[in-house]
Amino acid sequence: MPGTQTATATPALPLQDTVLLPERIGELTGLDGFGLGGELLAAFLAAFLIGNLMLAMTGVAGPWAKRKITAAFTDRIAVNRLGPAGLFIIVADAVRLLSKELVIPENADRPAYDLAPIVVASSALLGFAVIPMGNGIHLADPEVGLAYVFAVSGIASLGLVMAGYASANKYSMLGGLRAVAQNVAYEIPLVITGMSVVIFSGSLQMGTIVAEQHETLVTIAGIDIPTWYALINPFAFVLFLVANFAEVGRNPFDTPEAPTEIVAGYQTEYSSVYFVLIYLGEFLHIFLGGAIIATIFLGGPAGPVLPGIVWFIIKIWAVFFATQWLRSAVPRVRIDQLIEIGWKGLLVLAFANLVLTAVIVGLIA
Amino acid sequence: MSTGLERDPAIEVSEDDLEALIGDRALARDDHLNAPGFVVRPDDVQSVLSDLRDEAGFDHLANLTAQQYADRYESIYHLRKYADPTQEVSVVVPTTTDDPVSQTAEPVFRTADWHEREAFDLVGIDYEGHPDPRRILLPETWQGHPLSEDYNQEKPQLVTLSEHANPVQPDHHDDESDTMFLNIGPHHPATHGVLHIETVLDGETVVDVDPDIGYLHRCEEQMCQQGTYRHQIMPYPDRWDYVSAGLLNEWAYARTAEDLADIDVPEYAQVIRTMGAELCRIASHMLALATFALDVYGDFTAIFQYGMRDREVVQDILEDLTGQRLMFNYFRLGGVAWDLPEPREEFIEKTRDFLDGLPAKVDEYHDLLTGNEIFQVRTHDTGILEPEVAKQYGCTGPVARGSGIDYDLRRDDPYGYYDNLEWDVVTEDGCDNYSRVLVRMQEVEESAKIIEQCLDLLEDWPEDERTVQSNVPRTLKPDADTEIYRSVEGAKGELGIYIRSDGTDKPGRFKIRSPCFHNLSALPEMSEGEYIPDLIASLGSLDIVLGEVDR
Repeated sequence: MPGTQTATATPALPLQDTVLLPERIGELTGLDGFGLGGELLAAFLAAFLIGNLMLAMTGVAGPWAKRKITAAFTDRIAVNRLGPAGLFIIVADAVRLLSKELVIPENADRPAYDLAPIVVASSALLGFAVIPMGNGIHLADPEVGLAYVFAVSGIASLGLVMAGYASANKYSMLGGLRAVAQNVAYEIPLVITGMSVVIFSGSLQMGTIVAEQHETLVTIAGIDIPTWYALINPFAFVLFLVANFAEVGRNPFDTPEAPTEIVAGYQTEYSSVYFVLIYLGEFLHIFLGGAIIATIFLGGPAGPVLPGIVWFIIKIWAVFFATQWLRSAVPRVRIDQLIEIGWKGLLVLAFANLVLTAVIVGLIA
Repeated sequence: MSTGLERDPAIEVSEDDLEALIGDRALARDDHLNAPGFVVRPDDVQSVLSDLRDEAGFDHLANLTAQQYADRYESIYHLRKYADPTQEVSVVVPTTTDDPVSQTAEPVFRTADWHEREAFDLVGIDYEGHPDPRRILLPETWQGHPLSEDYNQEKPQLVTLSEHANPVQPDHHDDESDTMFLNIGPHHPATHGVLHIETVLDGETVVDVDPDIGYLHRCEEQMCQQGTYRHQIMPYPDRWDYVSAGLLNEWAYARTAEDLADIDVPEYAQVIRTMGAELCRIASHMLALATFALDVYGDFTAIFQYGMRDREVVQDILEDLTGQRLMFNYFRLGGVAWDLPEPREEFIEKTRDFLDGLPAKVDEYHDLLTGNEIFQVRTHDTGILEPEVAKQYGCTGPVARGSGIDYDLRRDDPYGYYDNLEWDVVTEDGCDNYSRVLVRMQEVEESAKIIEQCLDLLEDWPEDERTVQSNVPRTLKPDADTEIYRSVEGAKGELGIYIRSDGTDKPGRFKIRSPCFHNLSALPEMSEGEYIPDLIASLGSLDIVLGEVDR
C-alpha cells in the first residue's frame, strides 16, 4: 500500500512531488547550506509565494471575476471602464477599500473584534500548505494532510463566532450563531465523505491521494479516463460538493450572511481593512474548498497538455464558478431547513456512503 | 332583522332596510354622492358597525376619514361589501370640539386600529377603548394635530433623537425572559423603503411584530387640499405609489373628481386610460416579483435582473405614451393629456412586440421561480393570511386575491373600459406567500390580454372620433358639502379617495385610502410565530411601497 511511502521511494506514483517547494527553493538559492536557519528561510519564502498566489487569485476573484460572472448570469455588463475588460477595477477597489474609515462599534469586545478577521483569513491560507498544486508547488506533505486541512479550515468557524459576538450587534450575533450551527451541521458530513476517499487511497497524505488517482479507469476511443474519485464515486463527490458549499457559506446555504434577513450577519459591523480581511477570508475559503475538491476528487493537478499548476487553478476556479452560478440562480434555504438538510439528510447519506465504500473496497481488495 | 343577508352578503340592501336596521340610533342622514350616510352618536359606533357587518353584510371597512369642522369633529366610516363593493354606506360620527372622544371601532374591524391612530395623529380625535392609542405617522413627540383647525403651522417642532424614543435603548425585555428585541429598519436591505419593524425574537422565531411607519410621510393629503381640482392635484398621485403605478394612482383621483364634478370622459380616452393603467400594473407586478425574489433568494439574482429587464420595456412604452418614466402626470380630468404618440403604428407595434414576447418570459419566470423546489419549500405555508383575517384588516388587491377573496374593483365596481373587455379576475386559495406570487404572475398575463384588446380598439378607432379630453371648465367648484368616496383597483389593491368640497376650487378635505396601509397592517398576523426569513418573505409578498403607506 502506498500509505507507507516516503518522499524518495515513489517511482510507481509519478505525480507525487518527490521534492517539496521549500527544499527546491533551498537548493536553488543555496539557503540549504545555512542549517536550520536557512531551511526556515526557504520554507518562509515558499509559503510567501503560495500565499501570494492565493491572495492574487482572490484579488482577481473578488472585485472583478465575481462581478463579471454574476453579470453574465443576470444579463448585465458589469465593470468595463478601467483597463481591458475592466480589469483595473481591482486596483481601484483595493485603494477604495483600504482608504475607507475603519469604524469600530463603541461596545465592541476589542481583542476578539480585531482578531476575528485575521483568524478568518489566515485559517484558510494555512490549509493551502498541504495541497499539491503540480509542478512541484507543494509546501508540505504530512501523513495526516487531509485531516490537517479539515482541522485548519474548521478554525474559521471560531473566527465567525468571534466576529459575531464581539461586534456587539444583534444582527452580527444572529449571523455568528447561524454560522456555528451551520458549520457544526455540515463539517461532519464533509469529513465523513472525505473519509470515504481515504478508504480508496488508504492514506490521509495529500500526495498519495493525488497519486492514487493517476491510474486509468477505462479507455474510451483512445482517451484514458483516469481513476479520479469523482468518477469512481460520483455520489461521494456530489455529497462533498454540497457539504462544501454549506461549509463555506455559499448559496443556497448563505444563511450566516443572508443580506436580506440579517443585513450582513457576522460582518455587519466590519468596515475598511477588517472588511477586506473577512471578505478575503471568504474567498480564500471558497478556493480552499475548491482545492480540496480538486485534490481528493479531481486528480489534483492532473490533466493533459497544460502544466499541472494550470490544471489545478482551472479546477479550483471551476468550483468558484459553480458557487457564483448557484448564487445567481438558487434561492436561499431557511435556517431551520438548512439545519434539517444537514443533520437529517446529508449526515445520513454521508454515513451510508462511507459504509458502502468500505464494503465495496473490502470486497474488491 | 332576519333577511337572510348573513347567508348571502351580496344581496342588495335597500336604504329602507338600512334605516330599519340602524333605527333610532341614526340621529340624521348625511348622504354622500354614492353612499347613504347615517349620523350616529359617538357611543353607538360599535353597535351600529357590528349590526351593519353581521346583519347587512357590510364586511369591508374601506376607509376612515376624520376631519374637523368649525363646530365639530367628524369620523366617517366608509363601509362596503367584499361581495359587492357597489353597495356602500357611510357612518358619520360627530363629536364636540371641546371633547372629541368617540368610541373605537377596533373590536368590530381590526383595520380601524391603524385608521383611528392616524385620525388621532393628524386630526386629534380620541377613540375611547382603543387598544393602542399612539401616534402613527408623526413622531411621538409631535405637538398638536396638523389637520385640525387650530393647528399652528408656524410652531417649530423639535424632534431630536433624545426626545424621540431611543431606538438603541436597552433590550425591551425583563430579566426573566430570553427574548431579544430587534429593530428591523428603517435602514435594512429588505424593508422596501424606510419602514421600521419592531420585532421581538425568541431565538430565530418571531414572537411579536410591530410595524412603525411614517418615515416617508409627506403631507400628501394636505398638499392636495391646497391644490385646485382642475390642474394642481393630478401630479401628486404619481408620488404615492411611485414604482411604476403612476397612472393607476392618477385614475383614482380622476375617477373621484370626475364623479364629484360630474365630468364625462370620452370613450376613446377611457380606452387609452385602460391600456396605460394595465401597462403600469404589469410594470408594478414585475417589480413586485423581482423584489420578492430578491427577498427570498437573498441576492441580486437572475430573477431580479430579468424582472427589471422586462419592466424596462414597459417603462419605455410608458415613456413614449406619457413623456415621462416615473411621474407621468398624463391623466386630466375628463380624459388624458394627449393622444398616442406619432407615428401611431410604431407605438402600437412596439407594444404588441412586448405582449408577444411576454408569454415566453412568464414561462421563464415559472421555470426559475415557481418551479424551483427550494423556492416552493420557502414560500408554501408561510405568511398565512386567512380570508377572514384579510377582510378584518381591509386587505385588497393581490394580497386579498391570494387568500381566495374574489374582489377586484375593475370588475365589481366597473370604471374605464374594463366592462367591455374580456379578462378574468385571478384568485388563489393558498393564502400563503406562494399564492400571492402566483396571483401576480397571472395578473400580468390578464393585463396583457386587456392591453391587447385596447390596442385593437385604438388601431381601428375612426380618426375623427379620437377625442382625448372632454370640455371641462377652467375652474371647478363643486357644490359645497358634497362628499364622495371613490376607488379604483390600483397595483396593490383598492386605492380610494374621499373628497369633501367646500364650495371653493380646492377640496375641503382630501383623504387617501392606501391599499398598502391596510395590507401592511396585516403583517403581524402573517408573521408571528414564524422565522425571521419568513417575516422578510411575507413583507416582500405584501408588495408595499412606503410612499403610499405613509402618504
